[in-house]
Amino acid sequence: MPDDTLQNSQAERRWLHALATGDSTALGHLYEIYGERIFRYTFRMLGNRTDAEDATAETFLRVLRRSAELRADGAFRTWLFRIARNLCIDRLRQHKLIELPADAQDAGSEERATLRITVHQALADLPTEYREPLVLCDLEDMPAREAAEVLNISVPALKSRLYRGRRALRDKLGGALERLK
Amino acid sequence: MYRKLVDLYAGGELPQELEDEMEWAAFPDPDLSHDMATLRRTVELLRQTPAPEFTEESNQRILMKMFARGLDVEPTTYTPSHMQLGLPIQG
Repeated sequence: MPDDTLQNSQAERRWLHALATGDSTALGHLYEIYGERIFRYTFRMLGNRTDAEDATAETFLRVLRRSAELRADGAFRTWLFRIARNLCIDRLRQHKLIELPADAQDAGSEERATLRITVHQALADLPTEYREPLVLCDLEDMPAREAAEVLNISVPALKSRLYRGRRALRDKLGGALERLK
Repeated sequence: MYRKLVDLYAGGELPQELEDEMEWAAFPDPDLSHDMATLRRTVELLRQTPAPEFTEESNQRILMKMFARGLDVEPTTYTPSHMQLGLPIQG
């Protein structure tokens, strides 16, 4: 285990314990550890920065509201992603939020920006049940078992959705697959 | 069965030896070769896609939203790379 991961894990346990005993300032430290990952996940699910910022803030507010349920047993990250996921699903049900990323140029070179926009559009066209495993497993690099827990499904069900999602994404990308070589 | 193997191949979940065998077996079959190559390329593209940038502006807006809802969080260590200036120590 890399040192920074180990340190994050130890820090996480410390801050979770503090939060569970009523120290709300501990949430800031948990935000330091997970804020960026939750933002990236919600951005990829919702497709725009403003909604991702809202969802990230709401995720951590819900953590505080439900801090009595906290356990420092390593399941916190899964629980956190599940909260973020539920918020994203609620928002996606309310509105069709996915849109072109206005800040695609953030990605750096023109080629990278093109790649991001193309993949983003294709992902946005997929049903949520396919998009979710692709975002968690292929974009966020989350292990299958953990992703299955976030989505509250079995690992075989996750893999089935992941594989079908990849095939659906390939069909959406079509000729772009060649152009982006 | 072949579809399952192609799925595993595309995700890089097979041992190298088995991957080589599959590529060899698919060589005379253009449909299978195309299926394997395009699906693997799709997964590679996904994994190469740049992550959305977590800017300092986004960070501040998230903190402001939490603050507006009564939560005063004070992260102290996050500094995006473009703000990490290597200034010389003075005095």
